[in-house]
Amino acid sequence: MAKIVIIDDDHDILDASSLVLTSKGHEVLTATNPEDGFQLVKEAVPDLIILDVMMNEPDDGFFLAQRFRKNKITVPILMYSSVSKTIGMSFGVNELVPVDDFVEKPISPSLLVEKVEHLLQLRREK
Amino acid sequence: MSGHPKVLVIDDEDLLRTGVQRLLEMEGYVVDVAANGTEGILLGTKGDYDLAIIDLKMPDKDGMEVLKEIHTVRPNTVCFIATAFASFDTAIQATKLGADGYIPKPFSVEELLQQLELGNKKRLLLLETERLRKDRENRLLEIAFERTRMNTIVNALEDGVLVINKNGEAVLFNPSALKYLQLNEIVIEEFLIPKLHPQIAELINRYLLAEEYLSKSFSIQLALSDSNETFVQLTCSPVPHPDGSLAGVVLVLKNITELKKIEQLKSQFVSMVSHELKAPIAAVYGYLKLISDRSIQLTEDQQQKFIERSEFRLDALLKMVNDLLDISRIEMKTVRREITDLDIPAIIKSILELFSLELKNSGLTVNFSFPENLSFIQADAEEINRLFTNLISNAVKYNKLNGKIDIAVSANENFVITSIADSGIGIKNEEKKKLFHEFFRAKNEFTKEINGTGLGLSIVKRIVDSYSGKIEVESEFGKGTKFIVSLPFRTSMKIKNDENEY
Repeated sequence: MAKIVIIDDDHDILDASSLVLTSKGHEVLTATNPEDGFQLVKEAVPDLIILDVMMNEPDDGFFLAQRFRKNKITVPILMYSSVSKTIGMSFGVNELVPVDDFVEKPISPSLLVEKVEHLLQLRREK
Repeated sequence: MSGHPKVLVIDDEDLLRTGVQRLLEMEGYVVDVAANGTEGILLGTKGDYDLAIIDLKMPDKDGMEVLKEIHTVRPNTVCFIATAFASFDTAIQATKLGADGYIPKPFSVEELLQQLELGNKKRLLLLETERLRKDRENRLLEIAFERTRMNTIVNALEDGVLVINKNGEAVLFNPSALKYLQLNEIVIEEFLIPKLHPQIAELINRYLLAEEYLSKSFSIQLALSDSNETFVQLTCSPVPHPDGSLAGVVLVLKNITELKKIEQLKSQFVSMVSHELKAPIAAVYGYLKLISDRSIQLTEDQQQKFIERSEFRLDALLKMVNDLLDISRIEMKTVRREITDLDIPAIIKSILELFSLELKNSGLTVNFSFPENLSFIQADAEEINRLFTNLISNAVKYNKLNGKIDIAVSANENFVITSIADSGIGIKNEEKKKLFHEFFRAKNEFTKEINGTGLGLSIVKRIVDSYSGKIEVESEFGKGTKFIVSLPFRTSMKIKNDENEY
């Protein structure tokens, strides 16, 4: 059982994702914009952050990920994206996109669970 | 020279002068006479004589001096020197000084006529030469003029033009070429290739270094490293010699920055549209996966809620697709506009009736005022309907429970002005700028449950703009928003043109 923060401006995605993860026994907290998300992560200290790429601005997610890292928040980040294939980004950690993995929307619950468990496993092993 | 050659006889001997005059007049010549050198010069320079017979020895002036004076003004008058002191030396001297012939005195009638006959032929040749010379001068002038004109045109071109010969040397260029090639100067005949951008040099070398004449034109696009982010399209075409070999190349540089910007806007729009279309699909997909996933137990309430949310999102998706189709129709102007006389208050009344259920459910009060006898505007009914439906729909959707909507129509000389004010959630200052952008939706705690495509106001703006109208917004966050639409009474030229296209 882990504490997970999901930051996404789409309420339905938040609802569906929360339900999937709570059904697996995780505690889920949500925020609908980058600023609230940042504060929530700082206060709640989660084991995993799930972050949407496009919120108010198309690259809000990237900036927020960078902001976490700059503030020494090393919690693994799983990024939701609906554009990853389109922009052809490499799925890896780099300075501009300091995240640990991507899930492309629409999200399949089983894939989401799989990726979340994998990242939590890696974190436990560290 | 007509059939009657004009002759000037200059001689101080009266007898000879009049004798020659009579004789020549009988032969069909027109004859003038001068009794001394001074008079001779006067007549000979004033009139354009075909021929002149000048006595070498006159009391006032020497015949050679008279000849010189006449030739200065009339180089094509054929002049004979007549003298009794005939000698071989004087003949040569006279000819050296420009005499066309030499008549020794005394002369026989035959001798004189024979000389004059030769003189006539010479006169004709001189005149022809003169004509040709003038022709040539005129042509040179024309060429010089053409060249200046071409230079002026080339220099005035907004497009850059650069001509390079087959040795890679500059032949012609204009100021725009300097600008787009980012060069401070080009010297005619300098070897230019090394000074050019490598991509341009490579393109030119394709022609210059080709073994066979390359007849195709090639274009490349370059981003200039200037502060304006200028994009230039460069087209290189070969210039052939008459024998088909390469004379050089001509480069035309066109500023395509605006096109590039439009291209960028288009691709941004496409990427935004893709994202906006994908979002509701992702949400519905997520819910469906939850419902179908047997490992996740849902309560009936949850299932019901997910189905309702899915319907809500799909409904929004459908509206968005319809809005997008409308936008592309307005953009591509494929809307066949039917311009008719429209009564704006009547249109607003009918829209309000359509919203009566929503108005009642939200407890909204509508105050509607408009002047009597308002003139009709000329526009397409469907578009004007769409415009006010979108605005009234926003005033309903973004209002508060039991709020109000104030609609007022007024007119000035040229415009009908309609203001639609709600008592709703208002718009934050920083969001006003983006209000008419595609897919912009104010995001706050009030708006999350409101269904919208983010395209309604963008469509409104496009319609207003297409009629050369104006839309303004006044708003205070938390208190309400007022849209003021001004539409011209008469259709602008812009719309008439649109009509003509189909």
